[in-house]
Amino acid sequence: MSNELRINKNNFIDQTVRISFKFNGKKLFGFKGDTLASALLANDIHLIGRSFKYHRPRGIMTCGSEEPNAIVQIGSDPASTEPNVRATEIELYEGLEAFSQNCWPSVNFDVGGINNLLSPILPAGFYYKTFMWPASFWEKYEFFIRYSAGLGKSPTKADDDLYDHQYAHCDVLVIGGGISGVISAKLAAEKGLDTILIDDKNFLGGSTIYQDEESFKINNANSNQWLAREIENLKSYKNLVIKSRTSLAAFHGYNYLLAREALTDHLSVHERKNKIRQRLWKIRAQKVIIASGSIERPLVFNNNDRPGIILSSSVKKYIDYFGVKTGKNISLFTNNDSAYETAVSLNKSGVNVNVVIDIRENSDSDIVKKAQKLGIKILWGHTIVETNGYKRIKSFEAMKLSSDGENVVGNKIKFNSDCIGISGGWTPMVHLYTQSGGKLQFKSNDNIFIPDETKTPSEQISVGSCNGDFELDDVVNNTIYNVKKFISLDKSSYDKINVTCSKESSKKNIWLLPSDKPLYKTKPFLDFQNDSTAKDVKLALREGFKSIEHVKRYTTTGMGTDQGKLSNMHALGIIADTTGTNMGELGTTTFRPPYTPLTFGTIVGRNVGKFFDHTRKTAIHNWHVDNKAEFENVGQWKRPWYFPKNGETMHEAVQRESKAARESAGILDASTLGKIDIQGSDASEFLNRVYTNAWSKLAIGKCRYGLMLNEDGMVYDDGVTTRLAENHYIMTTTTGGAANVLSKLEDYLQTEWPELDVYLTTVTDQYSTISICGPNSKNIIKKIIPDLNLSDENFPHMSFKDSKIDGVNCRIMRISFTGEHSYEINIQSNYANDVWKACMDAGKEFNITPYGTETMHLLRAEKGFIITGQDTDGTLTPSDLQMDWIISKKKYDFIGKRSLYRSDTIREDRKQLVGLLTDDPKEVLEEGAQLVEDINKKPVEMLGHVTSSYYSPNLNKSIALAIVKSGKKMKGKKLIVPMEEKNINVTITDTVFYDKENKRLNA
Amino acid sequence: MLNFNSPIQNEKKYNEIKITEVEPTIKINLRSNKREFSTKIGKILSILPPTEANTSSGNENYSLLWLSPDEWLVYSKNKNQNFKDQIELEKKLFNEISKINQGAVTNVSDHWVLFNLKGNKIYDLLTKSCPFDFNEFKKKKGSVSQTIVNHIDVIIHNNENNDLNLFVRRSFSEDLWLWINDSASFL
Repeated sequence: MSNELRINKNNFIDQTVRISFKFNGKKLFGFKGDTLASALLANDIHLIGRSFKYHRPRGIMTCGSEEPNAIVQIGSDPASTEPNVRATEIELYEGLEAFSQNCWPSVNFDVGGINNLLSPILPAGFYYKTFMWPASFWEKYEFFIRYSAGLGKSPTKADDDLYDHQYAHCDVLVIGGGISGVISAKLAAEKGLDTILIDDKNFLGGSTIYQDEESFKINNANSNQWLAREIENLKSYKNLVIKSRTSLAAFHGYNYLLAREALTDHLSVHERKNKIRQRLWKIRAQKVIIASGSIERPLVFNNNDRPGIILSSSVKKYIDYFGVKTGKNISLFTNNDSAYETAVSLNKSGVNVNVVIDIRENSDSDIVKKAQKLGIKILWGHTIVETNGYKRIKSFEAMKLSSDGENVVGNKIKFNSDCIGISGGWTPMVHLYTQSGGKLQFKSNDNIFIPDETKTPSEQISVGSCNGDFELDDVVNNTIYNVKKFISLDKSSYDKINVTCSKESSKKNIWLLPSDKPLYKTKPFLDFQNDSTAKDVKLALREGFKSIEHVKRYTTTGMGTDQGKLSNMHALGIIADTTGTNMGELGTTTFRPPYTPLTFGTIVGRNVGKFFDHTRKTAIHNWHVDNKAEFENVGQWKRPWYFPKNGETMHEAVQRESKAARESAGILDASTLGKIDIQGSDASEFLNRVYTNAWSKLAIGKCRYGLMLNEDGMVYDDGVTTRLAENHYIMTTTTGGAANVLSKLEDYLQTEWPELDVYLTTVTDQYSTISICGPNSKNIIKKIIPDLNLSDENFPHMSFKDSKIDGVNCRIMRISFTGEHSYEINIQSNYANDVWKACMDAGKEFNITPYGTETMHLLRAEKGFIITGQDTDGTLTPSDLQMDWIISKKKYDFIGKRSLYRSDTIREDRKQLVGLLTDDPKEVLEEGAQLVEDINKKPVEMLGHVTSSYYSPNLNKSIALAIVKSGKKMKGKKLIVPMEEKNINVTITDTVFYDKENKRLNA
Repeated sequence: MLNFNSPIQNEKKYNEIKITEVEPTIKINLRSNKREFSTKIGKILSILPPTEANTSSGNENYSLLWLSPDEWLVYSKNKNQNFKDQIELEKKLFNEISKINQGAVTNVSDHWVLFNLKGNKIYDLLTKSCPFDFNEFKKKKGSVSQTIVNHIDVIIHNNENNDLNLFVRRSFSEDLWLWINDSASFL
């Protein structure tokens, strides 16, 4: 660290805590409180990186989020390295390692620098024009373009850092902790409103907190001293939360805002362990006060991009806040009074101010007078026409401006300087306001866009310099007035505030400053990161681009990581000047969130790894895990897929499981099926309206299968419903459809059928369902519930019995999804694990075999039972599924009934469910495979597709279900399934492959 | 008798926060839009169903939570009530209400799992993934909210200052328990 560049006078940097860091491999030192930028400047390092297009040397230009040049790669760990970090924003921490970007082999010697020499032939639109031809070369171009595109290196391994989210609700959210933000927060807190104040820095106070100058006083104290006391006072308000290091990222509609809090980015690596790195705040605010401030504009002149050319206000912050001299011989170039504040600060800190070049003819404001009094040399009515120094500014040349400001006259005056502070006025930060949907108005006096308070979309106001107030008295007085009105506060502690300050007495603005050379021989940069110049904008206009949005994209102005914070206003100004248009009529480009970049980690929060997705588990899940089940995701549920034994493949396991289920006994955890308890005197009528078949005559204790349709007549869901009592049913739904069915039925009850006395309650998780099937299922149930009469007469298929297992109530349904003699035990979930184990114990002598969803699918496919969502896709009616028998002709109405009689739904050539058998019984079709009749006819007409396909060990052949155009009429017809390597011949069959007479149900 | 296997069976303590699974707890869902329903409930439980949205009523034995204009959840405060008590209460309510078409009574004791959260930071914990505005809720004892925590549907009942009961579906309970514990460890 160069001691010559560090002064020891301020309270903001802790110069007792030395911090080591590395830049491009070189070990350097800074102090606690430094940013990487201030530490680099203190080490006399200005050359930070290379520009994107021309690879020109670039240095630190600002001290904030608008920084276009000093963007670096942080860290080298492939999991945590981060590209495009602004050196001006990152706080210095022990062990920080930063690298220059966009340069090879080093920032000092960059081969890409040759682009700078080629720049005359690389104007705006070069890529668009050049790589158009010959068209066949595009793939070759693309390789190189993609290789050279982008800035920095993405991490290549998973991010180990922790992130999370937090919701917050408040009466008032104040964005920005500068003087107007602090005043606003205090007023809101005084009113007793729950208030949140956020600021992206670690220290409140904005630029006023280091404005220790007698020309700016509040209540007779220097403005910085007054503000420091106000900030201290804020701590006494319990209804005020202050979030520092928190950057507002997005302002959405209805005062919903996102902010990123950096929690550990300022800590050394070992201090960060097991701590949340960044937090995304999701804030709902009744009222929002935007006090986001303004940023200083650069000036656009020839070669205005050299390292060492820094915004004047940043030069001031580096000296007043960080105690860092940005040079030993500093000059200033300005069109307004701000640069004089910098001059006075530099002078006070003992830094030589070489000269102030001012394009105005004069100014008699207090601060200018003070600078003159200090002996600072001022060149009025001059402009800089050239700068010299490749990797660091060494000197510049100035000339007198002509009276119209369009040319320069007289002789060149050369000045040696290692830093130029430039100031082109101020741009209010209206990004957040416009993100929320607010419209802007143009204030021509200051050449700025400010919020149009008549077109504000939500309860919000903008205060301070983001609202166009740039002078201290205006900032303070207008903020107090506007905020009091906004929150309906009559009296406040600020009512007798007295502010005095230097007032700017003259203004002059020239968007593109002239040089003694013709424009085509100069490089007046607008967008420093993308190397977009004023020449490029003028070229775009000559080539017919008029809209600012088109000019932006053609020239890439404003498309860098800084999103044009420094360049957009100049681009607009130059377009307006060139086309003779009013800037206000041109409008601005769209400001999109995020205002400053967000890491993907912050957006994702803790929803990574085991929290990536949610899992629902049945009450028997742990048994499945203990017994080595492979799981399948069904909705959010984890369902056993199959239970491999001794290294079996899935195919082998499924063959074994399905044989066992047909030959002796199989057991399935069917707890995931949706279950809805239906009660009320109109429950039967309700079911009549919901399902296609009739329910009024279903006897108590009986079960019935039902199909539920959408209003369009298409199958929506299916399941078995059981009549438990006169006015009490329990409906089962598909696993994936449970929530939607409940919500649809509740919606119908509340909006379409309010006259029905029916109540629905979901009991999906209340009951676990254990399904036992196979010839020995009865023997197993008999062992578990000896008292239950299981005879077909007492307990026939499609009926239920209330019973008890070991003293716990349960419902036993005799229903089957496999075609086998089956029982379903429904028991309160907290007892289900024990009942499952009891079933396994009881079934041991019968080789009871647990099976998963794959075997379940195979067994039901053998019987031709559909699975809604697999064999249906929302375009099939019951008739398409060859289930006409389930449509009641007698019922007055049910959901979807009218749609079943539309001309389209009664077409005979609709796609219909059929069975398929392959000519080669061992050939198993792929689900989703297409079916065609004539492979040679072009284009090949696709008749349908396979929906379910398995190899059946019980039939010793492959079976499949498919939907096929006019399928019902095609029984026995041969079709072809064309696959990548061969064509498979199939025959259309009935959908039922196994036990067509249903003899096994009562076996 | 079969063993009662609630999904979590655990209690965890973190910085200013304690999380406990409170099971077995009797929980019964009540639905009705009949006038006589309130009187019936009053007679059986000695508490009247609240009619104000997102509130609750209760006595030393039960809490009765408002879920919608025609739906409530009653749960026992006494952890020592057993399976038999649960069945008896369900039966009594069912016979007095459902059976005579005065509404619907459904046992949901195993549908929901009850977590108790205690401590100064319980709202900091919940707001990590819950969009609900707890500012008024936490000031008012007995408040009820049906919201989401980490995208999972929950019912939250404000017992008293920094002490709340959270009901989550059994199938989601382990998922939510893991998330709660993970988040609590960073408070």
